[in-house]
Amino acid sequence: MADLKILVPVKRVVDFNVKVRVKADGSGVDLANVKMSMNPFDEIAIEEAVRLREAGVASEVIAVSCGLVACQETLRTAMAIGADRAILVESDADLQPLAVAKLIQAVAAKEQPQIVIFGKQAIDDDANQTGQMFAALMGWPQATFASKVVVANGMATVTREIDGGAETLEMKLPAVITTDLRLNEPRYATLPNIMKAKKKQLDTYKPADLGVDVTPRLTTLKVSDPPKRSAGVMVADVKELVAKLKNEAKVI
Amino acid sequence: MSNYSAPLKDMQFVLRELAGIERVAQLPGYEEATADVVEAILEEAARFASGVLAPLNFSGDQEGAKWHDKSVTMPAGFKEAYAQFIEAGWNGLASEPEFGGQGLPKLVAAAVQEMWKSANMAFSLCPLLTLGAIEALQLVGTPEQKAAYLPNMISGKWTGTMNLTEPQAGSDLAAIRSRAVPQGDGTYKIFGQKIFITYGDHDMAENTAHLVLARTPDAPEGVKGISLFLVPKFLVNPDGSLGARNDAWCVSIEHKLGIHASPTCVMAFGDGGGALGTLVGQENAGLKYMFIMMNAARFAVGLEGLAIGERAYQLALAYARERVQGRAIEGSTGPVTIVHHPDVRRMLMLMKSQIEAMRAFSYTVAAAHDAAAHHPDADERKRSQAYVDLMIPVVKGWLTETGNELAYLGVQVHGGMGFIEETGAAQHLRDARITTIYEGTTGIQANDLIGRKIAREGGATLQGVIALMRQTEAELAKQGGAEFAAIRAALGQGIAAVTQAAEYIVANYAGDIRGVSVGAVPFLKLMGIVAGGWQMARAALVAQAKIAGGDADPFYPAKISTTRFYADHVLSTAPGLAHAVVNGGGGAMALAEEML
Amino acid sequence: MTNLVIAEHDNASLKAATLNTVAAARKIGGEIHILVAGSGCAAVAEAAAKIAGVARIKVADAPHYAEQTAENIAALVVAHAAGYSHILAPATGAGKNLLPRVAALLDVAQISEITAVDSPDTFVRPTYAGNAMATVKSADAVKVITVRTTGFDAVAAEGGSATIEAVAAAADLGLVKLIGREITKSARPELGAAKVIVSGGRGLSSGEKYHQLLEPLADKLNAALGASRAAVDAGYVPNDYQVGQTGKIVAPQLYIAIGISGAIQHLAGMKESKVIVAINKDADAPIFQVADYGLVADLFQAIPELIAELN
Ligand SMILES: Cc1cc2nc3c(=O)[nH]c(=O)nc-3n(C[C@H](O)[C@H](O)[C@H](O)COP(=O)(O)OP(=O)(O)OC[C@H]3O[C@@H](n4cnc5c(N)ncnc54)[C@H](O)[C@@H]3O)c2cc1C
Ligand SMILES: Cc1cc2nc3c(=O)[nH]c(=O)nc-3n(C[C@H](O)[C@H](O)[C@H](O)COP(=O)(O)OP(=O)(O)OC[C@H]3O[C@@H](n4cnc5c(N)ncnc54)[C@H](O)[C@@H]3O)c2cc1C
Repeated sequence: MADLKILVPVKRVVDFNVKVRVKADGSGVDLANVKMSMNPFDEIAIEEAVRLREAGVASEVIAVSCGLVACQETLRTAMAIGADRAILVESDADLQPLAVAKLIQAVAAKEQPQIVIFGKQAIDDDANQTGQMFAALMGWPQATFASKVVVANGMATVTREIDGGAETLEMKLPAVITTDLRLNEPRYATLPNIMKAKKKQLDTYKPADLGVDVTPRLTTLKVSDPPKRSAGVMVADVKELVAKLKNEAKVI
Repeated sequence: MSNYSAPLKDMQFVLRELAGIERVAQLPGYEEATADVVEAILEEAARFASGVLAPLNFSGDQEGAKWHDKSVTMPAGFKEAYAQFIEAGWNGLASEPEFGGQGLPKLVAAAVQEMWKSANMAFSLCPLLTLGAIEALQLVGTPEQKAAYLPNMISGKWTGTMNLTEPQAGSDLAAIRSRAVPQGDGTYKIFGQKIFITYGDHDMAENTAHLVLARTPDAPEGVKGISLFLVPKFLVNPDGSLGARNDAWCVSIEHKLGIHASPTCVMAFGDGGGALGTLVGQENAGLKYMFIMMNAARFAVGLEGLAIGERAYQLALAYARERVQGRAIEGSTGPVTIVHHPDVRRMLMLMKSQIEAMRAFSYTVAAAHDAAAHHPDADERKRSQAYVDLMIPVVKGWLTETGNELAYLGVQVHGGMGFIEETGAAQHLRDARITTIYEGTTGIQANDLIGRKIAREGGATLQGVIALMRQTEAELAKQGGAEFAAIRAALGQGIAAVTQAAEYIVANYAGDIRGVSVGAVPFLKLMGIVAGGWQMARAALVAQAKIAGGDADPFYPAKISTTRFYADHVLSTAPGLAHAVVNGGGGAMALAEEML
Repeated sequence: MTNLVIAEHDNASLKAATLNTVAAARKIGGEIHILVAGSGCAAVAEAAAKIAGVARIKVADAPHYAEQTAENIAALVVAHAAGYSHILAPATGAGKNLLPRVAALLDVAQISEITAVDSPDTFVRPTYAGNAMATVKSADAVKVITVRTTGFDAVAAEGGSATIEAVAAAADLGLVKLIGREITKSARPELGAAKVIVSGGRGLSSGEKYHQLLEPLADKLNAALGASRAAVDAGYVPNDYQVGQTGKIVAPQLYIAIGISGAIQHLAGMKESKVIVAINKDADAPIFQVADYGLVADLFQAIPELIAELN
């Protein structure tokens, strides 16, 4: 395909191996000196985009991240996996999903991508919103929680995970895809590509350059530990066990 | 199953604050190794090590390499992992860009190699041996040899081996008997048997380049009559394609204490009429080349001690946090995890502090190696080279001996479970055991240290190092608090011990070489302990400066406490070792052999 | 204050998750309306009208709502959003697909997976995979919310009598076409990913008993099967069933340990599970120390009873 750009928004989040701790004053989680990495779902998104380019379906893969200057590292990681260039929308504001969707909308207006692949959710705020919001703002179709993507003849055919199974949607490009875990297994970046990533183009904008108001709509009043495991109980018989599992634990 | 998670934080700290990666990146040729690129490299290497290599460590040990019909089959998963390893370009990390390498500094390679070795030491030996062969060809290979072999070996498509040892020639390579018969066309036919050849055969690559030490017909006796030959498993056609199978075969593999996944081969050259080979470098200069390459190989094996210590520590720490046994010695309402017990804590701290000391020490030696190779100033190159030459036997000897001690402690922390293979602690102990033996035993390292590196030059280089240590001691004196007082006292005592022992060695080497040599290994340990303590002291000073600058990272106070522990538990043993060096010669040699 | 709850259904029947969502709306307070968008979905509307405490059911019945595609339904919700202070849907795959789209069209934030309502504009939601609970306050005029069903007890499905009114469908945007849907029930979930795990130990006494007793239970719960090392070593099941330090590390919603003593090597692999059930005949078995629900019983009796009870 002659000219099909894929835009992949990537978020810098606490590494998935880190067990976060809630701060004693309840103001948030302790992020000081914590290892940060690319959101795992976004890694899958980059991998999928790079595969589409390697298959000759896409012409260019552009990674975009919104946040602190340190997001450059995340963008370099995306470029080491294979993104061709990157865009940082630099801001130290608390960027909530709607604001990010609007920033990506502004970037899309400049870049004119045919496909935007998001991770289905970020493992820090667990919101699962940004891809859908972006699709709504653009008036594009969306295929969320994708487990298989085929792009041909200006159409995307996407198998997506739904409650209890899967469905396959067909849509005309431009379109939004959000990735689920089963879509692919991201590759290990190669050493030559890690070194080349440093030399790839990385442009920086500010939200104001893009004319986007990023004022948060939600205020976090406090953050607390999840309820502790309550002490176990002994049940008298199978009947009581099933009743507890149904009504108290609500796991069956 | 034990996981491995690379200690990136400490690695980055050592690279940046102690070994000076930023200075290394300013050396001509290393401009690409900027801090951010190095960080990205280490992170991806860490992912690869824990995701691909570490999961095969235990299964590889259980299954082992298998021999049949003169060839070796690797344990399940190794072939695929190796394919991924070379596909990702890791093999050529520090090799010459001219032949497809990335030309990164030794310092970066050291950190990355530590990860491969921690994750899976048996696997890591294959690229390590290939690297040895690459270095030999880079050093003295002909243009034809380089063109035909280097790109394939740097990419990892072909592997390499070092064929030195023979049944009668181990520590003493002068006893080598393998023969090389010139064919008149520039090629040679090689005949002879080599033993203990790491990765002499395997199924992970399509070809293997054996570098073989052998004697030509009219070669002089002893060390000056040994030449180096390139003997491929499959001959290479002029167009680069693979030709006939060469007469170089793995006729059996050893059943070993550890590194079961690494095939240790008996290699037969020329049983079927002669193995075709070509000369590498000049005739009769083989051992000279080995000496030039030795620093790299010995450094790499030293890192194995550090790496296994790290993996054993991670396993022991995880277990100590889980295992509930007994009440706290000061009293507790219920049973506690064993990490609460003071003796378990002591063992874990012995592991942690010595790991950090070994890492700091060895990485700074790697940085000196980079300066020795690339510094624009000739004096600086010379100074750095002298430092590297002095410290290589210490890196090799002290890190591997300590790695063994840490693997031992790793088992001990586990109690009975440590003795059970399934736990994994026992494997580290078994794998560690080879490291003090191959690439020159600790005894051989220590002889090199006291003889060639100290006595021969009257201790000149060492005196320069001692002066630097004294500077650090003076810095310590400027800090307040009990921690720094204790660190300073122990370092001062350690420096004095090294000074005293070295003076004794220099003074008595000629007159009482047997007595002095009894103290060789104790002196090597003394050097390691004090050099490690010196680097820990530097680390503590950096940490103190960070804290003073308002950095609240708990890593820094932990570094100071760890240094203090090292000072009281490890550095404090220095005077005893010096005593053994200075006074211990007579006792060791007093008995008649039949009284032993 | 009026809440609009988006019904989850398959055109034939109303999904239970809707009842938990109505419960959340009740906590918020005010009138509750339910939007049923579908095709030939009259039965769903009737079921919705019976939910206790619901005032009004709005039904948009049109062919292009049959597949519940987010694009068309979001447009419909937005078209009928006027006058609502809260728009809610269950935090199911369908709800998560839909509501962010609605929120963006309304230019408001969306609040995901709430587990509690503090006040009409303040909610509690899990972040960091449930390791931190955030209390968030919305400044928007309309609150668009997905509801984690386990956070709210379902309201009664019967007893209400809401009025049912038909509302106009919005235009078919024609953005996507459904070409296949497959609801898989057959294959047992994978151990690492399963929400429920039924795990058996040496107490099962043989491979035959293991399969005979545990498979029907696992089928019933759509659970994966796991085992202790002793069960694996004794050959009841293959290696990849093993849970524990030297096997798989799992953290399902529900872990049922049957005839497993609870050695620390086993616990290392499952103690992060949300709810742990232990069935063992030895009241002193260490597994009971980590179990949320313990049953001292002979498993050969208890398991058939359990299966019967679940039926
Ligand atoms: C698993 C494994 C892999 C190996 N891989 C390779 C390989 O790939 N290529 C290769 O060529 N070789 C390899 N080797 C061989 C290895 O390098 C030798 O085993 C080692 O150099 C020691 O030689 P040796 O076994 O003959 O012991 P010896 O030389 O017989 O030593 C026995 C003891 O005597 C001591 N000793 C010997 N000489 C002196 C001395 N002059 N002063 C003081 N003490 C002395 C030693 O320290 C040791 O304690 C490998 C060996 C093993 C076990
Ligand atoms: C290095 C090492 C690693 C290990 N790793 C693991 C691991 O990863 N995973 C693991 O599971 N184990 C592991 N183990 C083994 C572990 O220590 C235990 O031996 C094992 O978990 C015991 O399995 P079990 O509970 O099925 O058997 P047992 O301890 O024999 O317990 C059987 C239980 O069944 C109960 N029972 C018997 N009959 C009935 C009945 N009719 N009704 C109800 N209850 C009944 C008994 O009361 C008893 O509590 C490891 C051990 C070592 C040494």
